[in-house]
Amino acid sequence: MAGPVLSAAIVLFFFWMVFIYNRLVRLRNDVGSAWSQIDVQLKRRHDLIPNIVAAVKGYMDFERDTLERVVSARAAAAAAVGVHEKAVSEGRLTGTIDRLFMVMENYPVLKSSENVMQLQEELVSTENRIAFARQFYNDLVANYRTKLDVFPDNIIASFFSFQGAEYFSAGEEDRALPSRGVGMRRND
Amino acid sequence: MPLTFIDIERQKSWRITALFAFLAVLYFIFAFILFQAMVCYVPGVAVGGSFFILSSPRFVAAVAFSALLIASVHFLMSGLIAVRQVVEQIGAKDPDPEDGIHRQLINIAEEIRIASGGRKRIRCMVIPTLSANALAVADLRGEAVIAITEGLLSRLTRPQIEAVMAHEAYHVLSGDCLETSLATSFFGMYASALDSLRSGLAEEPRAWPVAAVFWVLVKFATAVNMFISREREYRADAGAVRMTRNPLALAEALDIIGKRWSGTGLISDGLEMLCISSPRISDHDESEGWWDDLMSTHPPIRRRIAILLGMAHVSASVLAKKETAKPAAQTDPAEPLYYALDPDNVWLGPFRVAELAAFSWFSPKTWMSTEAGGRAARASALGISDTLFGGLGQAEGHADMRCPSCRQPLAMVPYERTTIFQCAFCGGTLVENDKLQRVLARNEGDCSERIISLVRAVTADNQRSLAIRKLRQLDRRKEPPTLCPKCGRPMFRAFYSYAYLLEIDKCGICGVTWFDPEELEMLRCIIENRITPRID
Repeated sequence: MAGPVLSAAIVLFFFWMVFIYNRLVRLRNDVGSAWSQIDVQLKRRHDLIPNIVAAVKGYMDFERDTLERVVSARAAAAAAVGVHEKAVSEGRLTGTIDRLFMVMENYPVLKSSENVMQLQEELVSTENRIAFARQFYNDLVANYRTKLDVFPDNIIASFFSFQGAEYFSAGEEDRALPSRGVGMRRND
Repeated sequence: MPLTFIDIERQKSWRITALFAFLAVLYFIFAFILFQAMVCYVPGVAVGGSFFILSSPRFVAAVAFSALLIASVHFLMSGLIAVRQVVEQIGAKDPDPEDGIHRQLINIAEEIRIASGGRKRIRCMVIPTLSANALAVADLRGEAVIAITEGLLSRLTRPQIEAVMAHEAYHVLSGDCLETSLATSFFGMYASALDSLRSGLAEEPRAWPVAAVFWVLVKFATAVNMFISREREYRADAGAVRMTRNPLALAEALDIIGKRWSGTGLISDGLEMLCISSPRISDHDESEGWWDDLMSTHPPIRRRIAILLGMAHVSASVLAKKETAKPAAQTDPAEPLYYALDPDNVWLGPFRVAELAAFSWFSPKTWMSTEAGGRAARASALGISDTLFGGLGQAEGHADMRCPSCRQPLAMVPYERTTIFQCAFCGGTLVENDKLQRVLARNEGDCSERIISLVRAVTADNQRSLAIRKLRQLDRRKEPPTLCPKCGRPMFRAFYSYAYLLEIDKCGICGVTWFDPEELEMLRCIIENRITPRID
């Protein structure tokens, strides 16, 4: 009597384990693909910045300081490795770009150049893409980390040594909401 | 709410199945009644006249099979063509990558795709109309389109467009867009069949039973739409906030949509479930209660705005403040004024750059001054001509197009983030018809007093002459026609519309519109300020 019940329980336990394991793997892969999306957008931003700096340089001779800060922040961000270091340096870069957009508001002549407007639009869009990709990534990480910690999933997770993923956040200085669309507002 | 949009997509299939089941049951009932009636009453087919004989299992199975067959064919047919059908119906076009605002829309669509996890690519399109609305449509092939009107696109800020796109994208991702698209498609098929039957009913009384069946089906379909509609708008608003984390932008966008013409009469009946705000004017839409819930397709916009403002922790006065702040921003004190020397050697002014363009004698060689009695310089030296005559003399490849009145080559000039062709000397403009709605929509209402008075005089005059012509049953005034700058054939001079009584020249062959000097500004002014002709 005990034999069949025991073997049924073992089979059930095995299936349950497979189910939990597969779910964790799926979540881990989702987190990985979300991270690659952030990476793509960061790369896109790094490629765009030299173009916009070159385009506005001629108009903004007095703001050399602002431009140089953007360029050096970009170089630091491009050299960063690891989630946390990247998050911190990219946060700084976002800050300098916001500052650049704010300064650009003071130069109405820039608005009449379709080339600058186009580059600015591309950069604003990239900023938004990074913000959205980061938001999506952090949502997935939160979900994954919850799954790793809750009982009974945590048993399987520690047995197969699943590693928790790191949030993409820059800490204190980047707590403010990403300022989207600065400089591109019409009718405000 | 499920955690990610990926999860939402995984969950949506059962509702489509339910819709199909509903359709099958509907067809079964109708087929059953029809067979019964035929067997009982139609001479030649009638076999006994009893209802009970026919309730045999074989009969029911045959009816069920045929109902299932018809339902599947109908389901697939309308499910596969839903997107194409709607896009054709509203005349939506792909965004023009050469156009600044459209490029922004393409970018926003990509941003929203990333915000939703980047699984599904949604096409975005533009509806060339001045009304303010947006809609989403999806079909069984997995194709999805978000269409936004030119009028809305030009009135919203970037974050607001983002919020609207996110709202529509949520409809697509959550699958309720597919349901409504399918329901619209079924509904549309019956409604158009009913419309065509209605006209023939007088001559063909035998068509009455068929018409009755269609009528009942249309009512059923409407009822289904009513049941699935109202809640989902709240859900989509919440979903949009989840994606953009910006409830205030969506509230502002809804406020603007609610105060504008949302496309009544243009977006046809039956499509209103797909829109962000109902284009149909209905008392139910702005009231609450179970009956209104049932009868309207959209929740009251006030209520939606209130919920969103609650999420943003701000009061409704934020929107009111924006509204009152707007007119002040429209007059630009920084715009420089110029004095110009006319052909009779008299100094005139001061004028703004746009006003200078209207003078037929104004050219890059005109003597100008920035202050009365100040130092004079050529217009070209002051840099004014760059904006007005930009592109002139450059090898743009459009030198073959010449102004119909002063025979100067037309120059391609940037205008409201797109390009139009302008005569450098008279200021007349040539606008391609596919760009016309954009140019008209992207107006921020800053027309000068002079243009407003001119518009009032011209429209009143046109109204008067139109009335006289109609009363005396005369044809149009005979005038030598303007020749099209593109093909050289005579253009057709007509009112822009009977609501906006301004005459413009259109070429039916090239699809371009010619505006004599100031006519474009006048038309924009009429539309923006809703000036109607007044005869005192």
